[in-house]
Amino acid sequence: MGVFEAEGGIKVEVDEDGFIQDPDVWNEDLAKALAKTEGVEDMDEEHWKLVNYLRNYYQQFGIAPMVRKLCKETGIPLKRVYELFPSGPAKGACKVAGLPKPTGCV
Amino acid sequence: MISFTEETRQKAFSTQRKPETVESQGLPHVRFHVEEAHLIPAGERPKKFLEAFAAILKHTNYRFMLDQYSRVSAKCARCSANCQIYETTHAPEDVPCFRSEMLLSIYRRHFTVGGAVKGRLTGDVGLTEEKIDELADSVYNCTACRRCTLECPMGIDHGLITHLARWILAEIGIAPRALVVSTREQLVGATGNTSAIPLPALQDTIEFLEEEIADYKGVEIKVPMDVEGAEYMFIAPVSDWMMEAETLMGCICALHAGGVSWTVGTQYYDAINYGLFYSDHHLEQVLHKVEAEVKRLGVKKILIGECGHASRSAKFFYNVFAEQLNIPVINILEVTHDLLKQGKLKFDTEIIKEKVTYHDPCNIARPGWVIEQPREIIKAFIKNYEEMTPSGRDNLCCGGGGGTVSIDELRPYRTLITGRRKAEQIEKTGAEIVIAPCANCKKQVRELLEDNEVPVELVGLHDLIYKAIILSDDGIAWHDPMGDDDWTPPDA
Repeated sequence: MGVFEAEGGIKVEVDEDGFIQDPDVWNEDLAKALAKTEGVEDMDEEHWKLVNYLRNYYQQFGIAPMVRKLCKETGIPLKRVYELFPSGPAKGACKVAGLPKPTGCV
Repeated sequence: MISFTEETRQKAFSTQRKPETVESQGLPHVRFHVEEAHLIPAGERPKKFLEAFAAILKHTNYRFMLDQYSRVSAKCARCSANCQIYETTHAPEDVPCFRSEMLLSIYRRHFTVGGAVKGRLTGDVGLTEEKIDELADSVYNCTACRRCTLECPMGIDHGLITHLARWILAEIGIAPRALVVSTREQLVGATGNTSAIPLPALQDTIEFLEEEIADYKGVEIKVPMDVEGAEYMFIAPVSDWMMEAETLMGCICALHAGGVSWTVGTQYYDAINYGLFYSDHHLEQVLHKVEAEVKRLGVKKILIGECGHASRSAKFFYNVFAEQLNIPVINILEVTHDLLKQGKLKFDTEIIKEKVTYHDPCNIARPGWVIEQPREIIKAFIKNYEEMTPSGRDNLCCGGGGGTVSIDELRPYRTLITGRRKAEQIEKTGAEIVIAPCANCKKQVRELLEDNEVPVELVGLHDLIYKAIILSDDGIAWHDPMGDDDWTPPDA
């Protein structure tokens, strides 16, 4: 357990891998700050497309979508996802989108 | 491959954290009523460890094994010749029988008359706090691939000793957090599976896969859900429903083409069983969840997807924990192989042109169970196949066995130390694609190839079957060829 602090008065609880504990406290400023911890300095249109899709899917189903579905629905190939979020869709993009850390063989 | 230097070695060990003490809240009840480690006052751990050990000896038949092994162990270290971790580190503490001796010496000192007398005479204080820490570190440095057992002249199964040591440690609250958190979700969580996938999400994913198959194979296939009395209950490692679309679509297509009677249960759909890696008690509880679903649906056989540890934990432990069920456990590779032999599968042999090699997952290859079947499938539609050396029963571990692959903080250790020999082996084949039919191996080999800069693509066997299998009447296997990486949506 820890606390993640960033500019603009951001202060939220995170687990030891930096995933936010309460998905409801998520907002765009927090996403930008979390992105910096993933080596993403500027969130561009493609980043937001992925993050917003993940967020919407999570709100509907309570889990991240299948990786292939993420690529298909956003039109962003997997290779490009890894370029956008170097630690990948499960660890990088989900963290920025405020989803819990994936468990199991993921 | 990047070269292995002193710097690499330091990097591999620097981020390694000790196995963490688990939280007590919400944990499934601990058998033998031993308290969690953080509740145990300082200096009490050895006492609690011995209590847990004694309870396990009383309630199981591990004593027979320990009795035999503690007498015959010659500590000759021949096993080191077969240990890929020792081959990389050359550290004496990585010799398998050195690790086994840690537990065997505790057994001798505290649970045999001779050992107790000898201890008194020589002033041996027995188990200490430091020894517990050493043991905890050591047993999670091993990937439990059991390759050392092939070399032991006394027939000692070092993997089994590691397995037991992990269980005793778990009973006093020492177990890796990643395994405990996943198993907790599986046993007492709302979703009842290790990746926390709720049923509506699974149904949505299955619909998505059905659409994908219709788009690219030109055939409408429905995944049978909750079909009572089906021959097979298909149960995949649940993470596949998030990560491995092609593998699942390959399984679905093969079962459909073969006209197999199968179903996916909606009340329980996770084959993963981390109990195998840290606690027999949890191993049993997870098996009972599978058993309940089998009884609910009245299926005749359990069909495990592409996953090594899930297959082994079901096949070899049902007899122990659910003997009344008496139901065969089959791996998907066996079924696909059978269908191929019956002439029910048609492949387009021109689709896979790359040079391909095959990695044997330890849990299904070491017992000699699934070795020839995948090779015969591969040879049916892949022309350019290269065998690894060694392979089959004698294969090298991917480096992520024994549950270590789920522990993210062990990644540098896994990719630079334990999996290093595997990376070298894959590179040496000169293949462009490596097949690993196991969720555990897939994750590890992907990370391994990336960290060691080996430019080889990793897939499951059914990923390739999905590409090459012919389902439609027009005889075309693939309506829109695509690789995973450069894949683009059909209307883009």
